[in-house]
Amino acid sequence: MIDIEHIRFTYDGQRFALNDVSAHVGAGEFVCVLGGNGSGKSTLAKHVNALLLPDEGRVTVDGLDTAQAENLYLIRSNAGMVFQNPDDQLVASLVEDDVAFGPENLGLPSPEIAARVYRALREVGLVGFERHETHALSGGQKQRVAIAGVLAMQPKVLVLDEASAMLDPRGRAGLMRVCRELNEQGMTIVMITHFMEEAALADRVIVLDGGRVALSGTPEEVLTRADVLAPLNLEVPFACKLSRALEARGVDVPVCVSEDALVEELGKQAVACGVREGASVDAGADEQAAPPSVEQPVVISFRNVSYTYDAPLAKQQKKRAKKDRKTASAANACDAASATDAAPTPNPDAPKWGNSPDAAWALRDVTLDVREGEFLGIAGHTGSGKSTLIQHMNGILQPSAGRVEVCGADVSDKRAATAVRAKVGVVFQYPEHQLFADTVYNDVAFGPRNLGLMFEEVDARVHEALTRVGLDADELAAKSPFELSGGQQRRVAFAGVLAMRPQILVLDEPVAGLDPAARRDFLNLIRGLHEQGLTVVMVSHCMDDLAALCDRIAVMKEGTLLREGAPREVFLHEDVLRAVGLGVPAAQHVANRLRAEGLPLDDGVLYGEETLANAVAHALAPKEAQ
Amino acid sequence: MASSFSFGSYFPGESPLHRLDARTKLLCGVAFIVVLLASKSPAQLGLVALFTVALYAIGRIPPVKAAKSLAPLMAIVVIVALLNLFVQQGGAVLAQLGPLRISEGGVAACAFMACRLTLMMLGMSLITLTTMTLDLTEAVEKLLAPLARVGLPAHELGMIMGIALRFMPQFAFELTSIYRAQISRGAALEASPVKGVRMVNSIIVPLFTSAFRHAETLSAAMDARCYHGGAGRTRLHPLHFAARDAVAAGVMAALAAALFALGIM
Repeated sequence: MIDIEHIRFTYDGQRFALNDVSAHVGAGEFVCVLGGNGSGKSTLAKHVNALLLPDEGRVTVDGLDTAQAENLYLIRSNAGMVFQNPDDQLVASLVEDDVAFGPENLGLPSPEIAARVYRALREVGLVGFERHETHALSGGQKQRVAIAGVLAMQPKVLVLDEASAMLDPRGRAGLMRVCRELNEQGMTIVMITHFMEEAALADRVIVLDGGRVALSGTPEEVLTRADVLAPLNLEVPFACKLSRALEARGVDVPVCVSEDALVEELGKQAVACGVREGASVDAGADEQAAPPSVEQPVVISFRNVSYTYDAPLAKQQKKRAKKDRKTASAANACDAASATDAAPTPNPDAPKWGNSPDAAWALRDVTLDVREGEFLGIAGHTGSGKSTLIQHMNGILQPSAGRVEVCGADVSDKRAATAVRAKVGVVFQYPEHQLFADTVYNDVAFGPRNLGLMFEEVDARVHEALTRVGLDADELAAKSPFELSGGQQRRVAFAGVLAMRPQILVLDEPVAGLDPAARRDFLNLIRGLHEQGLTVVMVSHCMDDLAALCDRIAVMKEGTLLREGAPREVFLHEDVLRAVGLGVPAAQHVANRLRAEGLPLDDGVLYGEETLANAVAHALAPKEAQ
Repeated sequence: MASSFSFGSYFPGESPLHRLDARTKLLCGVAFIVVLLASKSPAQLGLVALFTVALYAIGRIPPVKAAKSLAPLMAIVVIVALLNLFVQQGGAVLAQLGPLRISEGGVAACAFMACRLTLMMLGMSLITLTTMTLDLTEAVEKLLAPLARVGLPAHELGMIMGIALRFMPQFAFELTSIYRAQISRGAALEASPVKGVRMVNSIIVPLFTSAFRHAETLSAAMDARCYHGGAGRTRLHPLHFAARDAVAAGVMAALAAALFALGIM
């Protein structure tokens, strides 16, 4: 289907983005292309549908040479392409008009277009969304519209260029399911990704590094090569890590790349060696015994906070709250009673998952404390109110009902809110998109200058902030932030917030859209800042990150606080989290599945990779050894 | 907040007015303005007013919705009417304050102007109330198409309008988040002129860079979906004239004739 023969390509004439790459993709294959940032994987994808033409070598798609101009539209309709950012590949305001865009360009008659639009929307499970506005959809839905737009051109190949990178886990799972179904119906799929769990499901994996093919083969052959993958900033899938860890502990398991295979294998072994019922092992339970420090003073407190983006409703709510307070004080009743009365009741017609964009309440009756020096994680599906919640923490948003206090000051007082902003630094999603100044120095200095600090003080803070995020101030200060790489830009944006010398750092999805290596670096950076004494609040939908870093986790659901507690308390209830579209850390998930297969694993323990490997090895060890 | 953002004032419905071809509505709208401008007597205005009310009834637009869509435009009506009140003179003087004088003629002109402008606005907002923005952009594109021969890029203009509308809510959302991010870093518009300029700068620059970033991917995405200009392009829902469009044109002509007759009498 796709033949790539010894192609080379350069953007600037100096460095080859692709250097002698050859690959073959057969009809009906599901191929994943892996690689760190700058490995040339997106450049390769753009060659498949003739968005780029090779400088040397040849690319043929379904027997057509991409270099020949007369083949252009045939190739592009045969090899559909879906891009990374769901926000900037949709052309029209309405779903059906966007899906129709491709066939319209092909000049098909209107009834045929309508039939194709319907079929394409059915394939991606979006029938009924024809007249919806594209901007009001979730990220995952937008990507499915983009896929439908490509499917409507009836391609033979679907190329996804990191199409899942900006989605939450649920959106990613939906996207993957659609791809698998299409593949089963015979569609050839080329998926560019840096998620190993996705690659593990492919028929074949190609790993690119510095514009060359580093490895190629089945997932079992490629993904188990930790020795080759690690230097390329790629990680092996969790199942593979665990099977290696078990191997090292003397358990005879093949190295598996897929979780299903590993669980099945271990289940069989458990039956074979006749594991005793109820013989549970408390591996590493003592490690997690440290209780959260309750004595620390509260720095941010939420009391029955509700928030609505609907202004008239908010006004009404405030009026009612005031009236209630008056009557309450008149009747000499306690304040708390009136507060509960005023709090809005949950809407029974609320959508199953996520707030619909016009849902009245973004937050409903949230009570939560952040204590000094702790690392609080906030989890929740898209639209659960996480972002709204953290924007209350420095008074950008003020509660429609209830009370938010930061360091003892009520943020609904305007002057207090301004003072609070110097204490609470908020790093928004994709903070690098907020860079604006001509030099890195000026961008980082923006905050301190707004505080009205003297020149020397500003200078000192800029240097300190850049050093804290691991950048060399002398080397970068005079550069334009737009010249830097994506990861460095994000660091500069971090520095811009740190330069305010906040005591509390609030982060909204700080590692979204980064590759595994950059993710790790950033999480270490955040861990370091916490160890230096900052109170950290981090929103994330990666449960492994939350489990690894946080002292305490709050789970949001449709604007309400579903659960809060230590990672152990929260993650032991996989069913509760699943019901709101969230998962648990990979190790815990595998542990739960193994327990269902009959392995005697303690259900009161939160497992990590090491502790799980120990426990499983212990359970499967020959009886005479125990 | 982006979620509360909606463009135009489209009021969904299935009335004959909604089903009318967007081109017919645009052309009738132009004719309506011409007819209004040609009206000189209160009797003529009264007829147009009756006609407008009838159209709103046919379109099944609730009066509250009509008033709401009109509200933001009333400022213009008030200003123009006030200008007329003081500038137009004639007849007995009713009140005088220094150089300002209000005469009977002024009052009449003021009332006449206010009614005429209000009717004009009502007519125009009826078009946006009953037509989807996308259909409007396509109608503009189609109506300008004959001018393509003299070099006017009709298709491109239509495409630009469509994409601008598509990205409007996106930019509204980004503007909000950039604004909040810079506020979080202590920016304040009202603090001092220097700070104010710095803040506006810190919002405008990221917005522009984001626009360029979107444009880059969007153009690749359009390329990948075989976009190559207007030539040979078909439509999912092509505009087509039907019998009701002829009826609409007839009604418009009848209105013009009736007004002409009233003018002669």
